[in-house]
Amino acid sequence: MPITTVLSPFRAWKFLFQNPVTVRDPLTERPGAPRYRGFHQNDAEKCVGCGTCETICQNGAIDMIDVGLAPKDGDSGLRPRIDYGRCCWCALCVDVCMTGSLSMSNAYTWTDANADAFRFTPGVDKKPWDNDQLGYRRPEGHALHGKDRVEMAELEPEARIGTFDEIVAGYDVARARLEADRCVECGLCVATCPAHMAIPQYIKAVRDGDYERGLALLYETNPFSQVCGRVCTHKCETACAAGHEGDPIAIRWLKRHITDQVPHKDYVRIVGKPKKAAKGEAKTIAVVGAGPAGLTAAYDLARQGHKVVVYEVRKHPGGMPRYGIPEYRLPYDILDADIDVIRAMGVEIKCETRVGSDITMDELKAKNDAVILAIGLHLGRSTRIPGSDHADVRKAVDLLRQVTDEDPVDVPKSLVVIGGGNVAMDIARTMARLQMKAYGEVAVTVTALEDKAHFLADPDEIRECGEEGIDIVDARGPQEVVIDADGRVEGLRTWRVQSIFDAQGRFAPSYDESDERIHPGDMVIEAIGQAAGVDMLGEGLTEALEWNRGRIQVDADGRTSESWLWAIGDCVKGPDVVHAVADGHRAAKSILAAFEGKGDEA
Amino acid sequence: MQDLQTRLAQHTDLGEWTQQRADLAFVTVAREHLHGLLRHLRDHEGFTHLVLLTAVDWLEDGQFQLTYLMNNRAAARDIGVRVLIPREGADMDSIHDLWPTAATYQRELREMFGIDFPGSPRVDEEFILEGWRDMPPYRRDFDTLKYAQEEFAERPGRVSKDPETHMKQKLYPDGA
Repeated sequence: MPITTVLSPFRAWKFLFQNPVTVRDPLTERPGAPRYRGFHQNDAEKCVGCGTCETICQNGAIDMIDVGLAPKDGDSGLRPRIDYGRCCWCALCVDVCMTGSLSMSNAYTWTDANADAFRFTPGVDKKPWDNDQLGYRRPEGHALHGKDRVEMAELEPEARIGTFDEIVAGYDVARARLEADRCVECGLCVATCPAHMAIPQYIKAVRDGDYERGLALLYETNPFSQVCGRVCTHKCETACAAGHEGDPIAIRWLKRHITDQVPHKDYVRIVGKPKKAAKGEAKTIAVVGAGPAGLTAAYDLARQGHKVVVYEVRKHPGGMPRYGIPEYRLPYDILDADIDVIRAMGVEIKCETRVGSDITMDELKAKNDAVILAIGLHLGRSTRIPGSDHADVRKAVDLLRQVTDEDPVDVPKSLVVIGGGNVAMDIARTMARLQMKAYGEVAVTVTALEDKAHFLADPDEIRECGEEGIDIVDARGPQEVVIDADGRVEGLRTWRVQSIFDAQGRFAPSYDESDERIHPGDMVIEAIGQAAGVDMLGEGLTEALEWNRGRIQVDADGRTSESWLWAIGDCVKGPDVVHAVADGHRAAKSILAAFEGKGDEA
Repeated sequence: MQDLQTRLAQHTDLGEWTQQRADLAFVTVAREHLHGLLRHLRDHEGFTHLVLLTAVDWLEDGQFQLTYLMNNRAAARDIGVRVLIPREGADMDSIHDLWPTAATYQRELREMFGIDFPGSPRVDEEFILEGWRDMPPYRRDFDTLKYAQEEFAERPGRVSKDPETHMKQKLYPDGA
């Protein structure tokens, strides 16, 4: 053995009086690296409980649990609980988080004798590292799901203004799949949809290319799927988890895509035949008004094997989707296709039949087991300003109806629309197309009470109006229809609006009278709202019914104070197709329950 | 690193060259050129240090990509040499004769991806997965979640709610 081997241990003694290079107390302070993946942090306010973290977790370490938060639009109220016995700290949950609420602190040291302590809900169960600034955050620009919506092809303004051709082209298969691929199937949207359509499931059908399954899913909850695929107000998209850090999924366009992909001749086969009611069980129901609310109720009841007759005063069924929504947004053949499916379930629709004169409510009551009133809002309201009784001051709903029925319309060279909602946009754009056809140029001014920041119409409508050469003037209050010496309409006199509501929130516009303008036009169109035409009820029934601020009083299912009568749709609620569909379902369910003796005797 | 590319191209058939940064490049070569190129880089270009050896599973293309990352300490630059091999029955020539440490990487790749390196020391011994019976877990067709659910017991008392169902129960229990 060499002598150095024996001596070398003693050489270490020379370090005894040197400064140590090691950390004095490594057990107390051991900070993780700045981007260390330690215990999770979750901003419980920002989190929407979509459960995408749970879905992506490859260790099954995350549970979505009820922490006592009430669910609301776009937020399930659930929050992720993490089992650190399973978590491998891979941070996929942070990378996929739809809102960016989930992150990881760099805290990683923690001891506890109770193993269950290592299962907790970050952001809800308070922890010392909740407000730590260091740790793993999803890097800027890093995303696991597509943030941008797949673009939708549309007719260019120059190509569409002279025609009533449909503007939106619809997705092709490749684009629809790309868009469907962005959906994480969290299902937050379903509660927000008034009809509670099976949205994640039908989007999955698009992804799988299984359009028959998709169509069957659509018609389980919405017999106006083709219509809603085009003109739905798509509140679902405001609840979409993808909307927090990108564009929400184009749910409406994907619904339309399914209906576009299936040939119309196959619809009835896929939707399935109605049930046959047992002998003597089939009831008869009358529906007044062939709009989405009435026809949905009719569809549901007919599918259960009951006999339904729908009475419609106009030439064609469809209600507001036909008579209110212009063809460039909703082609008539699309509406007809949806109604054909409803007819195929055995629903009989009697058009040009006016309840109240051709047949009375009393007769309907006597002949049927239940009656549904779904008469919509077809009477245009008037501003009642001076000059508004002139023959060239028209109501938007009346003009839209004339255009649909192809009744002749006197198209003025220039006109002014009063109103800032979607109906105002519909009539402005309809008249602009007629002007383009007749004169080759557009001269339409829209005056709205609201300023641009508080406009009632959809942003798309406002943008498209601008593209089509329509002049929208905001914050203008109509004062008088100006009539010249020869008795012709010359224009509309307006004042600038200072505020629309008073301190109590009541409608009481105030104006700056010094800011006066005359908007020139040979015609003035009022588009400021509609009312239900309830004269058809007859005096006795009007007296018997309970009313609430001019509307028929109904319960949550649409049943009126008269046990045989339900009232649904715009005439009692509003404001759009899919709400009407939901109303129709509720009424049908309530009527079926009444037939089975679950509700009050009908 | 243009100069290096030019010099290497004189005696090796180089595939795609990717200049990732000023001091980092990747080059793809055929498997038969790998050993010679690595030796040349080590002995004549100063890339004496094997930083790592790793693999990527290009499942859809039916290929594994091996990346040999090497460092030239004096010049402070790195080169990654890539080789694509068929996924089916994957094997590759060992480089443990160039760097003994490579044997450890090769043993790891054998375990995690199922890529064989015949002749590499202890290549068939277990590395970190003790008693593993499933397919190599870094293969992309390995279902990690399914494995975790089957293999690891749940702590009792776990419940999870589906957001859509939970919202229905709370907001519209009768479906309307």
